[in-house]
Amino acid sequence: MPKSLKPTHKNIQRLKHHFAFICLFALSLFAHNGFAQGVKASATLDSTLIFIGGQIDLKLEVSQPVDATISWPAFAADTITSNIEIVERGQVDTTKANDRIVLSQLFRITSFDSGLHYIPPIELELIGAESKEIAKSNSLSLMVVNPFPVVNPEDGITGIKDPINTPFKLSEIQDILTYTGIGILLIGLLIFLYSKYGHLISKKEKPAEKVVPLEPAHIIAMRELDRIQESKLWEKNREKEYYTDITDTLRTYLEHRFNVTAMEQTSDEILDTLKSVGEIDKGSMAEIDQVLKLADLVKFAKFNPLPEENNRSIKNAYAFVDKTKRAVVETSEKEETEADETIPVKTEE
Amino acid sequence: MEQSVDIRELNERIKNESSFVDLLTIEMNKVIVGQKHLIEGLLVGLLSDGHILLEGLPGLAKTLAINTLATIVDADFSRIQFTPDLLPADLLGTMIYSQKKEEFVIKKGPIFTNFVLADEINRAPAKVQSALLEAMQERQVTIGDTTYKLDKPFLVMATQNPIEQEGTYPLPEAQVDRFMLKLVIDYPQKQEEQMIIRHNLAQSFPKASTILKPDDIIRARTVVKDVYMDEKIEKYIVDIVFATRFPDDYKGLEKYKDMISTGCSPRASISLSMAAKAYAFIKRRGYVIPEDVRAVCIDVLRHRIGLSYEAEANNVTSVEIINDILNTVEVP
Repeated sequence: MPKSLKPTHKNIQRLKHHFAFICLFALSLFAHNGFAQGVKASATLDSTLIFIGGQIDLKLEVSQPVDATISWPAFAADTITSNIEIVERGQVDTTKANDRIVLSQLFRITSFDSGLHYIPPIELELIGAESKEIAKSNSLSLMVVNPFPVVNPEDGITGIKDPINTPFKLSEIQDILTYTGIGILLIGLLIFLYSKYGHLISKKEKPAEKVVPLEPAHIIAMRELDRIQESKLWEKNREKEYYTDITDTLRTYLEHRFNVTAMEQTSDEILDTLKSVGEIDKGSMAEIDQVLKLADLVKFAKFNPLPEENNRSIKNAYAFVDKTKRAVVETSEKEETEADETIPVKTEE
Repeated sequence: MEQSVDIRELNERIKNESSFVDLLTIEMNKVIVGQKHLIEGLLVGLLSDGHILLEGLPGLAKTLAINTLATIVDADFSRIQFTPDLLPADLLGTMIYSQKKEEFVIKKGPIFTNFVLADEINRAPAKVQSALLEAMQERQVTIGDTTYKLDKPFLVMATQNPIEQEGTYPLPEAQVDRFMLKLVIDYPQKQEEQMIIRHNLAQSFPKASTILKPDDIIRARTVVKDVYMDEKIEKYIVDIVFATRFPDDYKGLEKYKDMISTGCSPRASISLSMAAKAYAFIKRRGYVIPEDVRAVCIDVLRHRIGLSYEAEANNVTSVEIINDILNTVEVP
């Protein structure tokens, strides 16, 4: 037996002191748990191990009597400890069971420092108590692992790493495949419908046409000039209409006969174009020149021509059409000419 | 028959009143070699009370042309070089304190003249451009509390350099619209250039004589307004302008539907009819014919058609569009 443990008077006194101290300490703990028994706090982690920068949930749960009021921990600066940060706070959830309520809150936490981190007990203070009463949760520990190899500056500069190859998954292009499939199906359906019923649609849109035999340009022009002459518009003081009709007829004739865009040209431009055609003799040029110039005066300058001028204009129009038609007949074969001069007149339903 | 007599009388009147046109052209041609289109455009602008936006490279006789015109008409002429630091007061004028009179007096700017050459208008910031364009539109300038009418005739010829775009302030569409004509001048022909060299080497620059007074121009403008424009021509003008707004309504112009972002405004129709009348006057006619409309159409409309990015991507210009419109719209 060691000398210090011998039951001497001194040792007995020392043991009495120790026992008294332990008893007092136990009493003080008992007195403190008077509040602690009413309020119970616990803290749990999803996992005790995360990679650096990873996130896990810390759940704080407090069970308390219905009539008790506690101050909920605020965690200023969004940190639990200097190494552990709060990323997101959940709402405080309350559930009731018998005469107690359970309050809980989720904290999403992260850490950017590798190593084992100690999370101290979270303290909750009872409000309205005569003396300061505090409940504490259990303490926790979190291991933060750095998965990246430690860079040694002494190794020098290393090359850029290639992108990480991830295995191809069909789910990546699932949307594209779905929409493409639907598109192909729709197109197929449309092609099928068109091939089956398309002829019905086209028949409906385009009613049966009866093609009228083609007519030479000069015949149409002559017929139109006959109509203008018979209408005697100038005798009814409608000279403007009379000359508009004559020039429109001549322009249409020129378009079909010489393939020039006479309807979109002014008189001077028409005359220049006809000169460049080179098939028209001077006499015919003079005739159409007289008609177009006089028509311009009547149409744009309120000019009232004399009756002789009106007659001369239509005569010149007839002569121009007749001469330019004949000039072609003389210089080429009749059949070819007729084919050249012909135009699709109109189609009848 | 009365109508016929009227038009004949008008024709005679215009033949008499427009006799100065030939003289003016001769005097201009003495000094300006070639540039027939520029001279014609200047005359159209002068007679129809419109302003001219001129685009051309330096050294193509822009300043000389308007200076010569001012000499021929016996009018005042100012040339204002637009720079980035120019202020509206430099253009319009301002109030300065006279120590002698012990009060503020008006100091009128260079805009108070008959002919203004606004050189490189796109070099000045928007506030100066606005000041000029407002004066052009209103024909008056307000300094302090007082509004001053500008002299008559008042013609602004503004130039733009098409190649140097850095550090410039392009005129907004709404302001460009206020110019009646946009003339694009090109290099002279070989023979014309030879003549220019001869004149310069011999140091024998011909000088234009004064043959007109500003009042003659004002009187001529009244006559231009009287030039007869038939309803058919009005419809033709409206058709052309509408084709710029709704090209898909005209067969053959559908392709321009997405290329034209903004069509021509009613101001374009007014300007086109006025310019056509002035052109008919220059040609010594008392009535407008479709040729007159076509002759001025490109100059009146080219700066009023807003092109989309699609047009720019396809290198389609407003002139091409106008030419296509003219070749598509039926002539009355």
